[in-house]
Amino acid sequence: MRQTLTRVGAIARKEFTHLGRDPRTLLAVVITPVIQLLLFAWAISFDVQHVPTIVIDLDRTPASQEYLQQYEASPFFDVVARGGDLAAVDEAFDSNTARVAVIVRAGFAEALATGGQGQVAVLVDGSEPTAAKVSQAYAVAINQLHNQAITREWADAQGLDLSSLGTLEPRIRTWSNPERRSSDFLIPGLMVVIIAIVTVQQTAVTLVRERDLGTQEQLEVSPMRRIELMVGKLLPWTLLAFLDVAMITGLGRLMFDVPLRGSFWTLAVGSALFVFASLGMGLLISALAPSLDTANIMAMLIAFLPSFLLSGFAFALDQIPVALQWVSYLFPARFMVSISRGVFLKGADFAQLWPELAALAGYALVMLVVASALYGRRSAR
Amino acid sequence: MDAVTTRGLSRRFGEVLAVDSLDLDIAEGAVFGLLGPDGAGKSTLIRMLATVLRPDAGEARVFGHSVTTERERVTPRIGYMSQRFSMYPDLTVEENLAFFATVRGVTRAERRSRSASLLESMGLAEFSHRQAQFLSGGMKQKLMLATTLMHSPDLLLLDEPTTGVDPVSRREFWRILAGLHREGRTVLVATPYMDEAERCTRIAFLSGGSVRQSGTPEEVKARVPGRQLEVSAPDPRAALAALAGVPGVASAHLLGDVVRVLWSPSDDPARLLPLLPEGAGVREIPPDMEAVFAYLAEAAA
Repeated sequence: MRQTLTRVGAIARKEFTHLGRDPRTLLAVVITPVIQLLLFAWAISFDVQHVPTIVIDLDRTPASQEYLQQYEASPFFDVVARGGDLAAVDEAFDSNTARVAVIVRAGFAEALATGGQGQVAVLVDGSEPTAAKVSQAYAVAINQLHNQAITREWADAQGLDLSSLGTLEPRIRTWSNPERRSSDFLIPGLMVVIIAIVTVQQTAVTLVRERDLGTQEQLEVSPMRRIELMVGKLLPWTLLAFLDVAMITGLGRLMFDVPLRGSFWTLAVGSALFVFASLGMGLLISALAPSLDTANIMAMLIAFLPSFLLSGFAFALDQIPVALQWVSYLFPARFMVSISRGVFLKGADFAQLWPELAALAGYALVMLVVASALYGRRSAR
Repeated sequence: MDAVTTRGLSRRFGEVLAVDSLDLDIAEGAVFGLLGPDGAGKSTLIRMLATVLRPDAGEARVFGHSVTTERERVTPRIGYMSQRFSMYPDLTVEENLAFFATVRGVTRAERRSRSASLLESMGLAEFSHRQAQFLSGGMKQKLMLATTLMHSPDLLLLDEPTTGVDPVSRREFWRILAGLHREGRTVLVATPYMDEAERCTRIAFLSGGSVRQSGTPEEVKARVPGRQLEVSAPDPRAALAALAGVPGVASAHLLGDVVRVLWSPSDDPARLLPLLPEGAGVREIPPDMEAVFAYLAEAAA
């Protein structure tokens, strides 16, 4: 037992020495997550605000001006241009100066005054679907508000008291992320993607490198067991992965005000299991890959893409094709994204998240056992 | 007991039979040289004895223990130095030594005293804090040898340890091997250098995966029929070309600015003179390993 610890310690220490001598790897592990976090959190925002808007008033009456004033006042729309004819819309859309056009037809004021329908057209540029969808919803909301205002005015003018009229008032609230800020949604998921990249990529190359250096043969003629080698190699990367978790959590809290509503320990246990599962996957790649390049590409394919695309990080899992939903169960990232979002946003703990935690634990165990067995089979040549 | 015994040992790589039912006995305390052309199976044999490669058939024992079923009894007693440099390039001399000794189970106290004395005796002491990647070729090989010696193995398996090393370092390397020999350790060394073969207590000539000749260097030399001639000429290449296909010439090769010829015993060397370019001279010398090697390699081909 003591000898086992000595050998595991020797491997772990050696791995740390490698890291210390290779500033690039260290940078990749410590700086990349920060850069990715900032890039993703700022650049890839699903928040839609300040949509450039062109308004065209063909009616030119106080009523139409009052109506269009609503758009000017909304923080959601930025009125960038006012036009007098419809050709201005095509021009603004083609040159990307506006994404929404609001057009008030001639006769708008007259129609309202005589009990007809005031006609307004809202055109939305669909080349950015998210922005288009949200713009449409906001435009509908503004129109409803304006409708209510007009109704109230009419009622007042007729001397009616609308407060006696029963109306339906839906109150819609978004839970977990009431302001629907995309950084709240992205950062807990991003943490999963970053851990997956760091751990899988680095461990994927580690055993291949021993083979390339020829040092694997020297280790084989020692009494060291394979599992000791694996554990010794996992220790430094586990620590570094935890460093990344801590950094992302800290930056998310401080810079982006991401809430941490749930149990910190659930997150820690979940991260540990996910790190083991990812490291196991890296070792598996390392045991199978014939060269460093292959290992890198396999790591990319197996770690990065599924954790990005099939984890629920970027696309909601119930929105993707059923076949891909099944595929997503083959990768641990989807479980961890659930855990991470659950803890950060929903305040979940062990009681709710145990199925995901159990799945990760099982996954980690299977990966390590299979990697050990396959690495052994290869070295038995 | 013999240090190494193999019976019918075989290993195949795809279509190629690298080692073909090979029988070999190496006595304890020998410095045993493995000779043979590239692809003769020297490395494959050594790697099987080092337990890093599994035989397909036959058996190999090291100090009486099977390399397949009793690995854990074999590995503590062997030191294996592969053909390529196989240390961590970014670790220092000292760190490499300490790491491999630790995983080999050498205690801290032993590690200290042994690494100090090994580094001292190999002239590596002043480089102990240098990263392995910045060592010269000769120093790299000495570092590998020092690493394989840290756990005091009884059998050293050295796969072409001096290939690509300058002559001064080679001589020094063999001085260290001679010291190990005096301590009673067994050394199995594959080498492409015939002058190194002469320094072995026993040699075996491998070709096509099996042993063609074995014995002391003198015995092997004596078994090669013929006498050795040295042909000097203003243009040795022209002389070598002129000798090709001449009856009685068993083999001929260039050595520096002379041509060494293995000559069948019954013929008179003077018969060669008229065939050679102007100004050539012929004299008889005692056969060397180079000639023996060339003869055996050609005989096997």
